[in-house]
Amino acid sequence: MLQQLITAGLTIAVGITAAFGYFYGSNILLDLIFPSKAPGDRGTRNIRRAGVIRPWLFVGPAVLALTLYLVYPVVDSIWLSFHGRDGHEFVGLKNYIWFVGDARIRAAFLNNLLWLLVVPAASTFLGLVSAALTDRIFWGNLAKSLIFMPMAISFVGATVIWKFVYDYRAANQTQIGLLNAIVTWFGGAPEAWITVPFWNNFFLMVILVWIQTGFAMVILSAALRGIPEETIEAAVLDGANGLQIFFRIMVPQIWSTIAVVWTTITITVLKVFDIVYAMTNGQWDTDVLANQMYVWMFEGGGDYGRGATIALIIMLLVVPIMIWNIRNARREMEGR
Amino acid sequence: MLGLGGRKSPLVWVMHLSVLLLVVLWTLPTAGLFITSLRTADQISVSGWWTALSSAERNAITRTPDGSAETQVGDRYVIAGNVLKNGGEVVAFGRSSLKPTQFKPGEVADLGDGITLSVKADGSYELSGPTKLEGGQRIFYTARTPPAFTLGNYAHVLSANGMLRAFMNSLTVAVPATVIPILIAAYAAFALAWMPFPGRSLLIAIIVGLLVVPLQMSLIPILTLYNDIGKATAVDAHGVIGTLMHYSGLGQMSDDGTQIGLNPKSYLGVWLAHTGFGLPLAIFLLRNYMVGLPREIIESARVDGATDFQIFTRIVLPLSFPALASFAIFQFLWTWNDLLVATVFLSHQQDSLVMTGKLKDLLGSHGGDWEILAASAFISISVPLLVFFALQKYLVRGLLAGSVK
Amino acid sequence: MFGKFLTAVAGLALVAGAASAADLKFKPGTDPQRFHWDSYDAFAKSHKLDGQTLTIFGPWRGEDQTLFESVLAYFEAATGVKVNYSSSENYEQQIVIDTQAGSPPNIAVLPQPGLIQDLASKGFIQPLPDDTKQWLLDNYAAGPSWVTLSTYKDKTGTPKVMAFPFKIDLKSLVWYSPGNFKDAGYKVPQTMEDLKALTEQIVKDGGTPWCIGLGSGGATGWPATDWVEDLLLRMQPPEVYDGWTTNDVKFTDPKIVDAIKEFGWFALNDKFVDGGSKAVATTDFRDSPKGLFTSPPKCYLHHAASFIPSFFPEGTKLGQDADFFYFPPYASKPDLGRPVEGAGTLVFITKDNPAADAFIDFLKTPIASEVWMAQSSFLTPLKTVNVAAYANDTMKKEGQILLDATTFRFDGSDLMPGKIGAGAFWTGMVDYVGGMSADNVAAEIQKAWDGLK
Repeated sequence: MLQQLITAGLTIAVGITAAFGYFYGSNILLDLIFPSKAPGDRGTRNIRRAGVIRPWLFVGPAVLALTLYLVYPVVDSIWLSFHGRDGHEFVGLKNYIWFVGDARIRAAFLNNLLWLLVVPAASTFLGLVSAALTDRIFWGNLAKSLIFMPMAISFVGATVIWKFVYDYRAANQTQIGLLNAIVTWFGGAPEAWITVPFWNNFFLMVILVWIQTGFAMVILSAALRGIPEETIEAAVLDGANGLQIFFRIMVPQIWSTIAVVWTTITITVLKVFDIVYAMTNGQWDTDVLANQMYVWMFEGGGDYGRGATIALIIMLLVVPIMIWNIRNARREMEGR
Repeated sequence: MLGLGGRKSPLVWVMHLSVLLLVVLWTLPTAGLFITSLRTADQISVSGWWTALSSAERNAITRTPDGSAETQVGDRYVIAGNVLKNGGEVVAFGRSSLKPTQFKPGEVADLGDGITLSVKADGSYELSGPTKLEGGQRIFYTARTPPAFTLGNYAHVLSANGMLRAFMNSLTVAVPATVIPILIAAYAAFALAWMPFPGRSLLIAIIVGLLVVPLQMSLIPILTLYNDIGKATAVDAHGVIGTLMHYSGLGQMSDDGTQIGLNPKSYLGVWLAHTGFGLPLAIFLLRNYMVGLPREIIESARVDGATDFQIFTRIVLPLSFPALASFAIFQFLWTWNDLLVATVFLSHQQDSLVMTGKLKDLLGSHGGDWEILAASAFISISVPLLVFFALQKYLVRGLLAGSVK
Repeated sequence: MFGKFLTAVAGLALVAGAASAADLKFKPGTDPQRFHWDSYDAFAKSHKLDGQTLTIFGPWRGEDQTLFESVLAYFEAATGVKVNYSSSENYEQQIVIDTQAGSPPNIAVLPQPGLIQDLASKGFIQPLPDDTKQWLLDNYAAGPSWVTLSTYKDKTGTPKVMAFPFKIDLKSLVWYSPGNFKDAGYKVPQTMEDLKALTEQIVKDGGTPWCIGLGSGGATGWPATDWVEDLLLRMQPPEVYDGWTTNDVKFTDPKIVDAIKEFGWFALNDKFVDGGSKAVATTDFRDSPKGLFTSPPKCYLHHAASFIPSFFPEGTKLGQDADFFYFPPYASKPDLGRPVEGAGTLVFITKDNPAADAFIDFLKTPIASEVWMAQSSFLTPLKTVNVAAYANDTMKKEGQILLDATTFRFDGSDLMPGKIGAGAFWTGMVDYVGGMSADNVAAEIQKAWDGLK
């Protein structure tokens, strides 16, 4: 046991040293090959050449890992999406035609749009509010930890928690679900929440918002603290009140971080299937694409073709966000 | 500190109240889980967790021991005992499931054939008859019991065989799987934020696109690749390289014991897989943060002749601590709570099981032990929360460093 | 360093393995009235495979895993093979990934014939020796049913015996509390007509007859499929059932729709079900049997498989606090006999080696079953076992139902393609208890099945 601890510690140390060694070493190597101190023209030419190569030294390991672990599977999936269920027989566009025509997929697609509208907006907003407010009260750190807690709970834990919120018992019995207990306490009739058409989608979304608010809060809080004090002091001197400072000065300052958080949560929404899978498995019209992808990929032996097709279409949905992010990046880069 | 808290305005109170409301809303479900983890399975299925805090009136059934436990009192045979194990008070009892609250405590119920049953308020009962008793008589009673909690669920989970080992395995997986991607991502993010090179915005776009690649999509191709590498590197098990591989622990012996190749299911494989899956978000978040750093600092360092490497290690890295810390928190969370990647890329033998897997095992083949689930959730949440607390102070350091400049 | 550590771990594991092999649950030779030790000795003599290893991947976790490992200990002790058993929460997904990626275990154990067929047709399963078929016919009660269950089509479409049934769960059971029956004066019904009359009688007496819960997280709906299958077996000849599982008899066939409606007779009547029909779909199947044991009882009857006692309240004594009766056949259809529906796990070879073959041989010995029977939750149709080995009377009674079966049929939803049996059928049943008509539900499921072709 102790040995394992030591081994793990050693591996980490070796790993970190190796990583620093790589970056440091490769930089030195680059400077040795293209010495900038070389006389005359060669020196400037060397600086230029090294400048072309150096960024790739920095992004190299990342690009390598991304290619192997993500790009390669994507390419593999593109290939699979034109093949049948065991991944051997070529079926042309059949999987895509199936995707467009399948009623269940269509329902999942529409639900997904609903999720995309609600969850990122709600989580980012609540995260921003909690980041801004908790930074200003003496028990802010405690509050932060409590809001962050759902993030630390595994999805399985989360589903158990919400089972005890949405649980339904008949009207004449003791309710063990919190929501129904509240409803009956106010004299209402208990309801099987996760089966209520349309609205049950929102009950499931609440779970993800509950989890993701902590994420948004932590990232945004870091960004808020990065705002130079002078900016705010200047605003205070100008006589701006709290809300004005928040919306006119602080929010614009961290706008790019808000965009990042929004993007990340949007993508999480597209990917998360655990909640739907564990709570309803898409029944009662609560399906989402990610759940369908999982179901087609693995259940009953799996149908790799259709699973890959759904995954790829989920990826296509991100293209607008990608374009938006490129624009943002270009704007930031201007003049650099 | 930001010019808001100075005066005691109504706004301050609104602020406190709204945070309080948010915290309560966010904590309530978790609190429910916590209380649930302190209750027994039978309590959980009959009453809501919020009732656990008050004394509850509950109907229950118990069974007297069989005839062998009887004693003879005068001319009657008697079986005596107590229905209450954890204190409380009996408010009614009955002899049949049809009328479980027929009698008040102290009354005597006639069971026929001269057999009688009585239960007192303190829970003691007496079953007596003129002839030898069969016993095994069901007693229905309504008891008012004080709040009762148990640490049994936690004891059950923590004392499970191999839990410590699983805990260590989880740490072995999670810590490097957090540190490696941060290092790689920090360099990449710096280049993407501050070093102009052709194709940069395209690379950023691709990284954003890769954020959405579902993990599940990668599992089979990557594991296939690992297995192929294992086969491709297979050498004679008794040769020099084979022996080295065997003793370094990186090798996996073939079934017949003649060949040895790189083990497709090793910690290294898991670390790299987690690195690959975590990188897009890491680069995305870190780049965004680094781009926002004050340009003057970096420009002036360049003018002073600092190399990019020096700028990165001496200026950008320390300034980016809040971003690094927040990503570290999340990546640690994910790798700690992950079961999928670990089961796919580590062998699923008992001794290499991670904690999430071990906790799941406790639930048995059919699952559904809510009390165990609840206790496990709290045990596994504790480590990420510790990480959160430990790193929380670094979320500020970047700011301080920045303001000192 | 790392290597040293790993070899140390491996060493530890070996020591641990040897230790567990040494303390066998029942010492060989003891209690000869219950155990066939001769079969153990004979097996040990003919299988010497010292130093070999065997990896097994199966669905059993927690308590079941401990039980299975206690059986494995005998295999290890007899052969000298070192067995590594592992399981995972998502074992279905895991086995798909492992076989597809090229790192399968030697032996896999799965409860879903549909999934096994899928693996077989992708060429991931080694056929069992040719004599397995005859062995099943000779040694398993209702042998032909088991042969059908063990036969799968390989890559070329040729049917071969590929999987060995081991450990059976009995589905056709109705659980009740004998004490509550006695209090109310109810008798165990012998026919379906009686059962329906009893249901109505309980309502007349002011009680609620049934507890039904279909909730099961991602698998919500499956308990209803067991109902429909059990009813279908009692309403139609087994051939209809077989045709139904292969879609030769369509879901929309009136015979099938009638079985669904018959389930509706029980589940859709608010007075018949605890909590009303609305509660059926949302109540977790693991919580629903608890209603039998509350005071006053929430219900009197619960249709469930033989594994359900794991979810009874703590301290419930089988035979005394809880008992079961066979889900009875219709008196009006005497020619259908006593059909039994069950489920169970099938063992198959995904990567051949001598130890794997030996393991299949081991499962054929009575002792492999008896060791598990003598502990808990294990039923077998193997005729050569000593029924006295069953740990308690409840299991003995269940085992007897298996041995007496005139027809045995495997859980139909498990035989169907995964997308139907573990997908559309579940969803359909949830929709059905939610108010959709039986005809529409059947049409939806059939549409999904057509979509697979």
